[in-house]
Amino acid sequence: MRRYARLGFLAATTLFMLVPLYVLVVNAFKPQQEILASPFGLPLDGLTFEYLAKALDNPQFDIFRGYAVTLLFVVSVNVLSVVLAGPAAYVIARSPKRRFRVLMLFFLAGTFIPSQVLVIPVVYVLKTLGLMGTIRGFVLFETVLTLPFSIFLYAGYISTIPATLDQAANVDGAGRLRTFWRIIFPLMRPVVATMVILNTFSVWNDFVNPQIILGPGSGLYTVTTGVYAAVSQYSTDYTVVFPTLLLAIAPLLVFFVIMQRHIISGLTAGATKG
Amino acid sequence: MRSGIARGQGLATAIMVVPATVLYAVMLVVPVGLAFYLSLTDWDGFSANPAVVGLDNYGRLLGDPELRRAALVTLLVAGAGTAGLNLLGLGFALLVNGRSRANTFFRMVLFYPHVLSALVVGFLWSAILGTTGAVNSFITQRGGEVLPFLSDPAWATVTMIAVLVWAGFGVNVVLYLAGLQAVPHSLIEAAQIDGATRWQTFRNVTLPALGPSVTVNVVLSLVTLLKTYDLVVSLTAGGPAGQTQTVAYLILWNSFHDARLGFGSAQSVVLMVVTAALAFVVTRLRRRGETAAHQ
Repeated sequence: MRRYARLGFLAATTLFMLVPLYVLVVNAFKPQQEILASPFGLPLDGLTFEYLAKALDNPQFDIFRGYAVTLLFVVSVNVLSVVLAGPAAYVIARSPKRRFRVLMLFFLAGTFIPSQVLVIPVVYVLKTLGLMGTIRGFVLFETVLTLPFSIFLYAGYISTIPATLDQAANVDGAGRLRTFWRIIFPLMRPVVATMVILNTFSVWNDFVNPQIILGPGSGLYTVTTGVYAAVSQYSTDYTVVFPTLLLAIAPLLVFFVIMQRHIISGLTAGATKG
Repeated sequence: MRSGIARGQGLATAIMVVPATVLYAVMLVVPVGLAFYLSLTDWDGFSANPAVVGLDNYGRLLGDPELRRAALVTLLVAGAGTAGLNLLGLGFALLVNGRSRANTFFRMVLFYPHVLSALVVGFLWSAILGTTGAVNSFITQRGGEVLPFLSDPAWATVTMIAVLVWAGFGVNVVLYLAGLQAVPHSLIEAAQIDGATRWQTFRNVTLPALGPSVTVNVVLSLVTLLKTYDLVVSLTAGGPAGQTQTVAYLILWNSFHDARLGFGSAQSVVLMVVTAALAFVVTRLRRRGETAAHQ
């Protein structure tokens, strides 16, 4: 009895969690009158791809360009983050010197700074460096936001890898850089995967930083700022809202369903960073 | 020869550490310091040499009725939201604890909104709960009255909190599940052998053992909700009549819409300090509560 009550309750909750997604999907294939007349109904008689096609061809926001730009940012930030944080974390994890322990604390302090607080002074820094409104400036800032937690996580992971591996490589004449990239880095796959998942979602979903650093004037839209440009003024034209939102979330949802186990554990690790 | 190798190693170490450190210093440490400095100026976002105005921005901040209202909304959102996230988070964690295919599915369903950007979540719910949205269309067709989910200030605040909880509690479920793994099974069995009811077992064994988990979840929810911004933009745009503006929303509005980045900096410094203070107080209170429980 208790078992059925539990399952019934969870089924009802599942329904409640999924209704918004259902509304989003079915209404992306209906004209405005039908959305207003039967917002929860299936578009059985009039399934139309007209509005989805229109959303794909929106002059305000080219969604394919949005995907490409966002993907470029996601890849650049991930690569830069690994290249910068990996070696630094290795030195910090392997060195007994006091100055590297201080360096760890220095990086750790950054995990407590909310990026909203940073965005105003970062505008000042980027203007001074001539990087405001540029892809380089944006990618560098997003990368920096990933560094504290990456270094923390990587250093923790590296310290579980036996140091005898390094010594063996050293005896064979490999320098520090070579030892890290050839011996240690390949062993860090799980923790790097976690960080990549984490960074992918945070860059893809970021709204404030691209909105302000890239600005509406640059014509560079990520998926998120593009959705804002396309939807915010037409929020009651549901033939714009639903197809655009569907296109914006589809890649992430597919990625999530395929990789959900890794993503949930990765995002959980990220959530605890404070 | 020996020193040549050492020098080579020193160079390698520098190559590995310096780039990350310099970039981090320039784009994160310097900005935190700059936030304090800019809060003492009248910077408009364009001029190269903003004038120092001392504590003027902080004085103005105290007398600003808009900001007072936003502070109230933010505290309400953070307080009620934290309660909602944690009650649902812990409750559902207990329900989907245990290995089974069904539980894996339920966890995925509870968690998925977190994968979507808050901006998309807000636009979606505004299409569902707006005056002409899905729910109101459904109601009016059946002869009902339009429900002011987003058009009445009090309703809109409650709606915003509800949507934040809907979108976020899956994370708390997963975090509490991790905490539950750490509760010693032998303790629960011992309680059951002693004839404790389910509720007694939960209240006296599981919950105390979850102590650190509760602290993490509460602090995390609080810190996240205090900076609520994206959802305000997309769900209510701060309306009706600015009644659902949060502090983070005002900071960015004042800074980039009104070109008052000095004033915005003062607000963000206050937000940063208040957030840190609240997180500290909650952690301390929880720790005291835990030691009291052990006595």
